Amino acid sequence: MTEPTAQTEPAEPTGPADLSQPLATFEAALAAVDTSAAIGVVDDLLVAGVEPVVVLTDVVAAAQRNVGARWQRGDWTVAAEHAATAVAAAATEAVARHARLTPVTRGKALVACAEREWHALPAMIIDCALRADGWDTTLLGASTPPLRLGQYLQDLGPDAVAVSCSMLGALPTTRRFIEASTTAGIPIIVGGAAFGPDDRRARALGATAWAADAPSAVEAARALPAVVPAAAPLPDEAVAEQAALELSHRELMVRLLADWQLDPELEIAEDAVQQLLHAVWAGLLTGDPRAVPQTAGWVAEILRYRGESPEKVTALGELLRTCLRDYPLAQSFIEDSWPTGDRVLRIGAD
Amino acid sequence: MPTADGSNVESLSPGDLRAEFEVDLQPSASSSQSVGARTRGPRAEIVEEISLAMAGSLNLRRCVLQLLTAVRPEIADWAMVVLTNPRTGALSLYGGDDPAATGKASRRSVASQALDRILTTGRTELLHVSLDTAAADGLASMVATKVLREQAARLRPVDVLGLGLTARGVTLGALVVVRGQGRGFSEDAVALAEAVASRASLALDSARLYEQRSRVAAALQASLVPAALPAVPGVDVAARYRPAIEQLDIGGDFYDMFGAEDDWLAVLGDVCGKGVDAAVLTGRARQSLRTAAHFERRPGALLSAFNTVFYEDTSDRFITLVCVRLKPAPDGRSADVEIAVAGHAGPVVVRADGRAEQLEIEGTVAGVLPDVDYPATTIRLEQGDALLLFTDGVEEARGEDGFYGLDRLLALLSEYAGAGADAICGAVEQDVVEHLDGRSHDDIALLAISCGGPTG
Repeated sequence: MTEPTAQTEPAEPTGPADLSQPLATFEAALAAVDTSAAIGVVDDLLVAGVEPVVVLTDVVAAAQRNVGARWQRGDWTVAAEHAATAVAAAATEAVARHARLTPVTRGKALVACAEREWHALPAMIIDCALRADGWDTTLLGASTPPLRLGQYLQDLGPDAVAVSCSMLGALPTTRRFIEASTTAGIPIIVGGAAFGPDDRRARALGATAWAADAPSAVEAARALPAVVPAAAPLPDEAVAEQAALELSHRELMVRLLADWQLDPELEIAEDAVQQLLHAVWAGLLTGDPRAVPQTAGWVAEILRYRGESPEKVTALGELLRTCLRDYPLAQSFIEDSWPTGDRVLRIGAD
Repeated sequence: MPTADGSNVESLSPGDLRAEFEVDLQPSASSSQSVGARTRGPRAEIVEEISLAMAGSLNLRRCVLQLLTAVRPEIADWAMVVLTNPRTGALSLYGGDDPAATGKASRRSVASQALDRILTTGRTELLHVSLDTAAADGLASMVATKVLREQAARLRPVDVLGLGLTARGVTLGALVVVRGQGRGFSEDAVALAEAVASRASLALDSARLYEQRSRVAAALQASLVPAALPAVPGVDVAARYRPAIEQLDIGGDFYDMFGAEDDWLAVLGDVCGKGVDAAVLTGRARQSLRTAAHFERRPGALLSAFNTVFYEDTSDRFITLVCVRLKPAPDGRSADVEIAVAGHAGPVVVRADGRAEQLEIEGTVAGVLPDVDYPATTIRLEQGDALLLFTDGVEEARGEDGFYGLDRLLALLSEYAGAGADAICGAVEQDVVEHLDGRSHDDIALLAISCGGPTG
């Protein structure tokens, strides 16, 4: 075990180290589902004095992006993706063991995944990065129910909450988390793929801060105010429509899947339709309609890798337009921003 | 009637102090009424705003933070909260320039000062700081530490107002607010501050009560949450736990794994019932099993011994259990497994090639008959094979299409052949919870053991 003081010793500032070789070794370990090899890579880097947050960002998170891409391209099954992710989680836990050697110098931070968010790894990475920065962190695992978050908010009385949300369908409960946290005056940082490329959705939902990755989460946490006011209510009309869509979600799924008639062998139709309906929810709650064309582009891409025609995406847009007739705001997203013709091809072709 | 103590007389205006007592120290109730009557609008709104903000938290420290943030700048230019610890007599200090700052002081260090009187009587005291003496001296009577006094002195304060925080008949502490030059506390301002303090006191007292309970609960709970899994050489182990009452973190299901080197025991069980009562019983069951395992490591005999003791101990309760003895081969490429169950579903074996089947094994529920023999089954796990132990919260998870059931479980598991214990547990947990789609569920516990570590 390394001395706790070893890493706080200001080693030579080496500048951004080239981590491409360890990254390649790490990716090979994920592909081989070789937990001890993956842990070996991160341990070696930590012993060599690389900052935990750099290991997390440039190795673990970087490799994980490729894991997602491999599923998207149809190279890996969901099970293979999960197996690789479990290895990455074990490696993150190894970094966390190292991070826990540093003394606590900041307040308490509560880190959670929104309900319906099953990607536990990004929250683990943020938890570990905050711990390495001196926060006394508590990590709640995948898909945390709002009641459980509320319990921890009162029991711990944290100085900061960080919520990870990569699935658009988990944005409604992320909003619940924001309400729970800010009602108690506790600042909340949000991040993850569901928030898109900038802070627009995070701000719209009333979060105190948005973080694109682990280093910016660490930076944002340092700058949080001690107390924040309760988040303002969301626009009533949009919230009502999102709630109605959520209540009718199953029916809409059944109908869209039946009408779309995608080859069942592909096993992606349900994911695609689900994501699109969730993108509509996200657009309603955040007032950011970009979620819809972004998701349509993602669908176009997974279809392209599986040899399907881009016209399938155009067809799905038509079906959505019809299905969402009773939801005027939602329908306007499809009308205004559904990619057509060349745009589908362009998005689908990276 | 208390007066300023000798050492501070010079820095105060004793005449004014006495006058303030006579004029201002109305009972809080009538003061807040007069606020409501005299000043509708912004000032009543502040009281409302602060009450609402503090009602949002049941955590004592967060509640104090809310108060300290909310009183500035309308009520005060500088503020601190003092809370007494009734057991030790120590004073906890919060705020100052930084609302999040905390400190400590002894009750003795404030003896016979204004603060001491406020903490004893709960009654408001207003001190005018005279301009011709060092402000820090004037503050000494209300602000307990040098650092905080220096902070407040930088404002060149004119008035220091100390308010008792009294709720439900107990004075919990004091709110000390300071105003700088040109904005001393008028009679109205004192009344407004008292109204805020009286609302704040209720919220703080609720938070204090909650925190006491929460500490007791946390201490008891800590012994009942599943223990961390050991690192077993050559074997990959993972678990998941979702109690029916998820925010409790404990329930009537439990798992445990212990042993050393090449001989390990894993148990997973389900006590009848849910919530705290069931959780208490799981703690006892887990401890009994660990103790029994010290003398008997064969799963069948272990369950027999446990059953007899459990039957004698709690004849009205029962428990289902699966007990697995695991002996990994020295090369880590296989493991011999011996299994016995007491009224519990047999584990599922997932072979590396994708075959998934439930082991057919039976045994009587523990705790209903005094003497029971439990037959054991043995299997061998080869590289990439896995064994999943689960409670009935999995099969009986009721979704839109009925129970989750064994067939769904087997179909899912065969896709996860060779994926490793953690991926298996994660996949089952997600699939079951998504099947529930927000419906309530029984306790769910999963424990997976995969041999030779995961393989691609």
